[in-house]
Amino acid sequence: MKMQNSSTISEKCAFLADYASWLWGCGATCARITKNTARIARALGIDCELTVMPSHVELSLAGADGADAAVYTRRTGHSGISFDINARLSRLSWEIADGLVDFPEAVRRFDEIKRTRPTGQWEVLLLVGPANAAFCRLFGGDWAAMLTVLVATLAGYPLKQTMIADGRDLRLTFLCAAFFSAAISAGAWIFGWGDTPDIALATSVLYLIPGVPYINAVSDLMAKHYLCAFSRFMDACVLTACLSAGLCAGMFILGLEKF
Amino acid sequence: MSSEIFVNIFEDGLFAAIAAIGFSSISNTPRRAYAVCAVIAAVGHAVRYVLMAPDIAGMHIVMASTAAAMAVGVLGVLLAPLIKCPAEVCLFPALLPMIPGMYAYRTVQALISCMLHTGEAAFDRYLSLFAQNGLTCTFIMLGMVLGANIPVFALKKISFQATR
Repeated sequence: MKMQNSSTISEKCAFLADYASWLWGCGATCARITKNTARIARALGIDCELTVMPSHVELSLAGADGADAAVYTRRTGHSGISFDINARLSRLSWEIADGLVDFPEAVRRFDEIKRTRPTGQWEVLLLVGPANAAFCRLFGGDWAAMLTVLVATLAGYPLKQTMIADGRDLRLTFLCAAFFSAAISAGAWIFGWGDTPDIALATSVLYLIPGVPYINAVSDLMAKHYLCAFSRFMDACVLTACLSAGLCAGMFILGLEKF
Repeated sequence: MSSEIFVNIFEDGLFAAIAAIGFSSISNTPRRAYAVCAVIAAVGHAVRYVLMAPDIAGMHIVMASTAAAMAVGVLGVLLAPLIKCPAEVCLFPALLPMIPGMYAYRTVQALISCMLHTGEAAFDRYLSLFAQNGLTCTFIMLGMVLGANIPVFALKKISFQATR
């Protein structure tokens, strides 16, 4: 009986550790990861502590009533930023806490959530192009600049998608996509399209800005998860530096006298 | 004059909404959240436009961005339960259209110009531009993310129960 109990506790702890690592991976804030995991742990009757670190999560089980103490470590980062997975995992935590699903059903739903398909590539592409063109307009770009940004985004974004799908380094991906988009939008300067070619050039790479990690970093800072905050902030800074380098390379190679 | 301002506010909100939908799709946001993201982004950007307009409030861009981000944060927290999504899902994409892209671009441009110009006068000019744009960009970003996150933590009961 004791063996059976201990096996169940171990399964539940493994589930909790996996759950926390997936929440981290999909871009949830540390406050949400700790709250959701603690909520499920309470519902499952597990007395544990969760430590959230930049590259892994650690679930420590306190040994009590003859049960063994144990630590469950999981590496973070599985899915890339996905608010869909974040929302579904958060809902699962409440379903468990409110007693709407039992543990085997929760495991089944968790496996289902892990298989969540990302937003279709064409759908994202069709939405990102106009979005970046609208962004250009918000910065004061004219219609020629908006059109240039639309084309530069529609050319650069598939490159990003392809390189990520091929498993290329994210920093290299950002650099190449920024270079490609900047080189195309530099056409507005070279051929004198419209009155705001500088705005077209500046906004053509902004679809790459890692906004979510920046915002998450400050959220973690406010929740006193300083290590995760710093890690997310540095990740975002490195990617921003890569896209800036790509932008500058694109301008230099086309000989723009902007410096 | 007044009708022109309303047209500008509407235009600002409309383009912010289009930008928010596109940026939310990059982060794999559920489709049911697109409309809410668009509305929040439109309101947030329009609020910033009004606060910055010289004829109306004439606020500095840093203060206006912080106040607008706080409005985005409150709306995100309040509307998230309607679509059963965490507050971040609604407010993060809505915040992205306010990112100070032009300031960031001018900062990088001035930094490179600093390196390329060895003359003291030109160097000082570009260094000043670098500092001016860089500081503005940094403080806008800081004000935005703080302003948006404060409501999430201040209204904890709503923001962490949205998916219940």
